[in-house]
Amino acid sequence: MLQLENISVEFGGVRALHDVTLTANTGETLGLVGPNGAGKTTLFNVISGVVKPSGGRMMFKGHAVSGAQHTRARLGIGRTFQVPQPLHELTVRENLIVAQRFGSGRPADPTRIDLVLEAVNLTKRQHADAATELTLTERKALEVAKALATEPKLLMLDEVFAGLETHGKRLFMESLVRIRNQFHLTMIVIEHDIETIRSLCDRVAVLNFGELLAEGSADDVFNHPEVIRSYTGESKT
Amino acid sequence: MTNSKMNNRILVAAVLITTYVLVPLLFGGNSYLLGVVVSAFTIAGIAVAWALLGNLGGMISFGHAAFFGIGAYTSSLLAMRFGVSPLLGLLLGGLGAVVASLAMLPVLRLRGPYFALAILAYAEIFRILAVELKSITGGAGGLLSIPGLPTVAGFDLNTKLGGYFTIVTIVAVSVLVYYLIRRSTYGLALRAMHDSENATRVLGVPATRLKALMLIVSAFITGVVGAFNAHFINFLEPNYAFAGTWTILPIVAAIFGGYRTLTGPVAGALVIYLMDQLLFKSLIPQGHQLILGGLLVAMILFAPDGLVGVLLRKVKGGGDHATT
Amino acid sequence: MFELTLQAVFSGLLSGAFYALIALGLALVFGTMKVINLAHGELILLAAYVAYTLESVAGWSPLASLPVALVVVGICAAGVYFLISRIKRDRELNSLILTFGLAIIITNGILMIWSADVRSTGGDWAHGAFVLGDSLFAMNAELLAAGVSVVLVVLLYLWLNHSWYGRAIRAVSSSSEAAKLMGVNPRQLELLSFIIAGVLATFAGVALYSAQTIAPELGHNLTITAFIITVLAGMGSISEVLVGGLLIGVIEALTVTYFSSSLRELSGFVLFLAVLLVLPSGLSGLKMKTRKAGPTGVSPGSSEKPARQKQLQHD
Repeated sequence: MLQLENISVEFGGVRALHDVTLTANTGETLGLVGPNGAGKTTLFNVISGVVKPSGGRMMFKGHAVSGAQHTRARLGIGRTFQVPQPLHELTVRENLIVAQRFGSGRPADPTRIDLVLEAVNLTKRQHADAATELTLTERKALEVAKALATEPKLLMLDEVFAGLETHGKRLFMESLVRIRNQFHLTMIVIEHDIETIRSLCDRVAVLNFGELLAEGSADDVFNHPEVIRSYTGESKT
Repeated sequence: MTNSKMNNRILVAAVLITTYVLVPLLFGGNSYLLGVVVSAFTIAGIAVAWALLGNLGGMISFGHAAFFGIGAYTSSLLAMRFGVSPLLGLLLGGLGAVVASLAMLPVLRLRGPYFALAILAYAEIFRILAVELKSITGGAGGLLSIPGLPTVAGFDLNTKLGGYFTIVTIVAVSVLVYYLIRRSTYGLALRAMHDSENATRVLGVPATRLKALMLIVSAFITGVVGAFNAHFINFLEPNYAFAGTWTILPIVAAIFGGYRTLTGPVAGALVIYLMDQLLFKSLIPQGHQLILGGLLVAMILFAPDGLVGVLLRKVKGGGDHATT
Repeated sequence: MFELTLQAVFSGLLSGAFYALIALGLALVFGTMKVINLAHGELILLAAYVAYTLESVAGWSPLASLPVALVVVGICAAGVYFLISRIKRDRELNSLILTFGLAIIITNGILMIWSADVRSTGGDWAHGAFVLGDSLFAMNAELLAAGVSVVLVVLLYLWLNHSWYGRAIRAVSSSSEAAKLMGVNPRQLELLSFIIAGVLATFAGVALYSAQTIAPELGHNLTITAFIITVLAGMGSISEVLVGGLLIGVIEALTVTYFSSSLRELSGFVLFLAVLLVLPSGLSGLKMKTRKAGPTGVSPGSSEKPARQKQLQHD
């Protein structure tokens, strides 16, 4: 579904991504791991159009992608932000109305919104102010809901589980699996926790210092010597 | 129908009746007063357009006089050179202002004060061009004997009363447009864009395009008002058409009335202008605007939500404020 | 032809330096407090009228009236700050409107006290001609104003960068909380900024009075000029203010010489727009352009506010 070829991103003399070639196949869940600063979020930024790559190209569903940021949602690319970014001055439901109306390309569809609210368990909280009245778990749920409301084919999750305690994490995980099946999603998941990756992802890609270190099944990848070295801290200069 | 919706409808009906029936009945004979009221509503129209841009578009402009002047000149020249009916001219004046706003699109990406000042620069440039392009605009001498509004359905609009009904309708329609946009999904997206513009983009909102749209709408309304003014006073010259007053008074009015509210700009314009012309001017013939300045200062310090904002809070004490 | 150009450039530099002087106070306050004092032009005008009053009533030369003008305008500037400090929220926008209201009050106050007639200094020296190297003409007052301007720019620059107060002001402008933790009192410093802006305005006003005629409506124009130069310079250091002023001054002078005097203002505005389109955060953006846009892909002057949270993200 998604093909990245030789993607490079450079700013201010810093090489955030270098020659990254990666594929996400339809229906699979790809894990994206790597130490802090490896370029994972930057990769998301490239795919969702927030950052323009300085080199390489991107194909989505067989077509080259290069348009402005706001066109990506219509194409079917949805993402969450690591630190949730709710739409200010709006309620939860209004957040989803905006997402659904502008992101799906279809006219307003309250049924879809109800569906999404159900899926993330926010139906009871739909009239709360999105920026000021939600707990952390609810904010994360909204973040996922917003992306879902745009009717994505590809959903990219950036550390959705960060900050949640074990029980919350488990519940959230169960919701995600349900959502994945319900909406037939291809997913790319950035995560630090290896167990989460193992249980959620079909394949895993490892980034470090902006380069793709390894790619394959969870077992293959986590036993790869380079990967182990990158996590135990030997630095590459 | 819920109680508050019912109340709102009654309020709107009352206002409309007062405006369209009571005021003409009571003051129709007083030509001077009617003239002042027409000017007040002219300011009100620009104030609504300014507030729309500020509130929905999130952009403060210091150069709305640009749209006013362009609208005025477009309509006047079309009427005088090509015999276009002034009524159609109103719309064309609005379109002329829209074209001018297209020239301003490049500065949309500028932040706050940069944008505000850039628009002011445009206004000044248009003013100077109006003076220099003598063959087109009549230069500094201006245009004289601009045709007035025509007779519609037996009612001669080219009178003080006719002008009154025209401008009041223009303002009413503008407020309606503002209201409709505000409560649509576009309005939601625009509100979200104030603090979370990037987040909206990821969700598919064409943020820049929406802002441009607000600029265009604001320009159109102001252009129509400018065109009306030209056909009402039948005279135009660059320093008048692009005068700072057409920028400044609407801003004062909108702020005073409460620029975040729908009716604030109109209420503010009426109160401020009428008080200034009818009361302050007789108190302090030279320098009466000083009181306006004082009011503005007092307002910012003690009632930043403006007149209507304060009234709203007193009446409702919180709760839904969707229609005002 | 060449001489004409040279004279234009010379006059342009002088008037440009004066523009910078007008803008300096506004730029200081804008840079340190992110507040735009729309009454700045009126403060300048007030100083000019004080100079006029002292000259017409007591025969003092403009130079001699400086101390009195400094006190009057200094107190007014402090007053303006006092009111601004009372704003509870949305300071950027509300201070704009507040100072706008104050500007209206001061302009009309001047109108009421001194009437609408134009005033000008009777002093001979000010209007006397100064000739540089045989062929470049200027008014003595113009030259003095330009000289004062350059001196003040340099002094301000040095002070901001090398004195404790100057550095404290810069600290407060970038993070008021952090500055407080280091024992700095933001309010005192903001008041100080304002008073210094008032001092700068006073110099501009007295120079204005010596060089040209004054009238109540001038306040508005002065504010606009100051505002334009400030925005052109960008929120940056003081040196860009001088550069911006000189640029506009020279372009205007060349336009007057080669086209027509009625296009003078036009050229200034067109230049202003042209610079902003290329450098959305003003001339100071020239420095920033060498550092390419950050990870969020947003450049400093553009209207997107990179979410503060983004800076907390790690890749």
